[in-house]
Amino acid sequence: MDVQIRRLGIALLVLFGLLFAQLNNLQFRQAGRLSNDPRNTRAIVVDFSRERGRILAADGTVLADSIPTDDTLKRLRRYPGGSLYAPVLGYFSFNYGSDGVERAFSAELAGRKVTINSLDDLLSATPKTNDVTLTIQPAVQQAAAQALGNRRGAVVALDPRTGAVLAMVSFPSFDPNPLASHDLKAVQRAWNGYQADPAKPMLPRPYRERYSPGSTFKIVTASAAIGGRPDLATKTYPTLRALDLKGTSRDLPNFGGSSCGGQLPELLRVSCNTGFGQLGLDLGGQALRDEALSFGWGERPPFDLPAPATSFFPPLAELRTEPQVATSAIGQLDVSASPLQMALVSCAVANGGTILEPHVLASVTDAQGQVVRTAEPKVWKQPMSAGDAAQLKDLMVSVVQRGTAGRAAVPGSQVAAKTGTAQTTGDNAHAWITAFAPAEAPRVAVAVIVESQPGVSEATGGTIAAPIAQAVLKAALA
Amino acid sequence: MSFLGAAAQPARRRTELGLVLLVGLVTVGAVTLASLGKVGEPPAGLLALSGVMVALLLAAHLAVRKLAPTADPVILPVALLLNGLGYTMISRLDSELAALQAVWTAVGVAAFVGTLWLVRRARDLERYRYSFLALGLVLLLLPLVPGLGRNINGARIWIRLGPIGFQPGELAKIVLAIFFASYLVERRELLADRIRLGPLRLPRPRLRVLLPLLVAWGVSIVVMVAERDLGSSLLFFGLFIGLLWLATGQPVYLIGGGALFALAASVAYQMFSHVQTRVEVWLDPWPTAQGKGYQIVQSMFAFGSGGVTGTGLALGSPQRIPAVATDFIFAAIGEELGLLGTTAVLIAFVLLIGSGLRIALRVDHPFEKLLAAGLTLVLGLQAFIIIAGITRVVPLTGITLPFVSYGGSSLVANFILIALLLRISDQHGPST
Repeated sequence: MDVQIRRLGIALLVLFGLLFAQLNNLQFRQAGRLSNDPRNTRAIVVDFSRERGRILAADGTVLADSIPTDDTLKRLRRYPGGSLYAPVLGYFSFNYGSDGVERAFSAELAGRKVTINSLDDLLSATPKTNDVTLTIQPAVQQAAAQALGNRRGAVVALDPRTGAVLAMVSFPSFDPNPLASHDLKAVQRAWNGYQADPAKPMLPRPYRERYSPGSTFKIVTASAAIGGRPDLATKTYPTLRALDLKGTSRDLPNFGGSSCGGQLPELLRVSCNTGFGQLGLDLGGQALRDEALSFGWGERPPFDLPAPATSFFPPLAELRTEPQVATSAIGQLDVSASPLQMALVSCAVANGGTILEPHVLASVTDAQGQVVRTAEPKVWKQPMSAGDAAQLKDLMVSVVQRGTAGRAAVPGSQVAAKTGTAQTTGDNAHAWITAFAPAEAPRVAVAVIVESQPGVSEATGGTIAAPIAQAVLKAALA
Repeated sequence: MSFLGAAAQPARRRTELGLVLLVGLVTVGAVTLASLGKVGEPPAGLLALSGVMVALLLAAHLAVRKLAPTADPVILPVALLLNGLGYTMISRLDSELAALQAVWTAVGVAAFVGTLWLVRRARDLERYRYSFLALGLVLLLLPLVPGLGRNINGARIWIRLGPIGFQPGELAKIVLAIFFASYLVERRELLADRIRLGPLRLPRPRLRVLLPLLVAWGVSIVVMVAERDLGSSLLFFGLFIGLLWLATGQPVYLIGGGALFALAASVAYQMFSHVQTRVEVWLDPWPTAQGKGYQIVQSMFAFGSGGVTGTGLALGSPQRIPAVATDFIFAAIGEELGLLGTTAVLIAFVLLIGSGLRIALRVDHPFEKLLAAGLTLVLGLQAFIIIAGITRVVPLTGITLPFVSYGGSSLVANFILIALLLRISDQHGPST
């Protein structure tokens, strides 16, 4: 029997070795993933019953605070702005975790990340909560929301000099207050209602949704010509109604059957599809793709809110035929961009060719009002030289002065812009604009998208989106 | 029969005393830390609690000193350490359960002492073989008696007598281990008798030979089907097959047992939705993380959130795992004491298994040898089944973690189990 007993010992040892291996797998290898899983609400429960700092706008307006309650969860989170700031703030829910600023800066708000300044900080047992001040300006946010109105879409405005986000609006939005409720059944009802809504109110469109950028992408194509092929920037393109493409029976037409052609400034001013299609073919798939990547396509933006969308430009394997290259050059086919990305394109032109890391955090202050952390501007991309950016800026100014973006003009300030119309299904199209102002010393860049507007014409971006950009620019420059 | 010099006897008991006192220190410290973590102050009546605890530990030790002076010195302290750790976690999860667990621990220690006192020589148990068989079957089937049995969480493994609830299956595993050990020791020659069939050597297919295998299988199936207790069913079957193999050395019993198990498992999978659910959430719990997979997903989160060092006692939130004080207590340890804590528990069980098998190897009497190995197998297998279940190594089958989980029946049964192991290891004991 002794032989069997020894073998039994070995067998049991092997089984326990297996358990040890699995424990290492769970508690070491996968520990980070498991403890950060959004369905793992452990951290939030701890945060829920402890004090939590306020979230403030740039001007000190309270966007979120907590009031004491007498139930077991002790504190109730409130959002005085309701749905207006939800795309930025996200939510803070016992059942469903958190998102937005509430998620990204949870440690700061809950005081789990404390800067040790004195011995007292080290010895004190109570967690010190911090207030988080954002770069969001309520006046700009309100103007943007008002201008967008009840149309599905997104608006994002940044300071091109720093990357600070001034406004970020999404419609439809949601009210985070019911999700913060302590009545967990009511929270569930509110959550299920939001989730079931086909309009996706909980989706922060400005940074987490991607759209076909349409003609706003022509800025990138133009930049490729100005920076890499000066010969193409001065080439005169024939005036055409439609561009004949090899390998397809479908030509690339201009919107509304109009004819256009000429040199780059003229092509951009009227947003000429045939001219830009041919320009794209002249540049080639490789150069187009390189240019898009230099602006940030194909890379997750270093945004300080959770899970920003990565804008997409097709790989070379999908840029083999003329139709693929030409339609990609005008921002159609599979090209996609988040509204944030399109605002960053304007930022590049506005800021001498340099894109700074976008961010909503201005500073973190402790309970005593001492600033413990400030967001420093950091360079993300440098797609253009300052000279090329200045050249492109002039082209975008003429788009407002004499082109498709006339309705983005702000009295007393020179605006630079590019409109876009991205056909979706049937006769519907997304109306786009990306703009910045004042042209001589830009302080604000903006991108606007209004989803699925009826009528496909190059004017759609100019009539629908441009007035919204104008309202936002006006509010930001005031 | 002397594998130990008489001089070693006081040394063994001194080792045990030292270890037992260390266990007391660790447990009192852990309970204090848990209370500090939970309410920010030491537990109410810490002194009284420590007094009772040390008294219990010393009572167990002194009983061994008096009744089994040359017994193994490691098993009792390790079991008490696991018990203390379990009590700490329970006290942090639910103070009412903790009070009950303390009472059950006292009952368990009394059962431990009682077993040592009553059973002076383990080999004497052999005589009552069929009484044990009868007792074991009665205990197993008791929950099925109408009016006596209770359904709790879908499993019918409880009986209720007045205010006291009990899982007789926990005791049955020991009683049946005794029966099987004695039955198999007597018949092992017969069972090992083989015939040649071409290149194969198979046990002579006699009814008397196959009968025990079929009985084991039948009992396990009754437990699984009628009581819906997958964990115990697996444990019984593992014990029977393991003992058969230990006694005969015939791998064919392992193979045959494995085949029968596979057959029963696949039929159960076809027939019972709760078995399908267990397998489903074992393969992938994530799609049903808010539903059927909730418990196992929460267990995964507990282990992950604990990481290497754990959150600290009473600083995590393991209470969101359903059945955390019983089946899932190991996940609570994982969350609050981390990989270090869970590894310590694994080592404790490996020490128990090692000590148990060493006893089996050293003892000469065949029945005692087989019984020691069988009892160790039950203990090790039970710990493996539940830990593997909640860490998703195998599908979950609810069962207690010996000495650690909340539960009176389990605690009392396991104290009796180690009392028997100690009794077998005490080869210089007072012979009566």
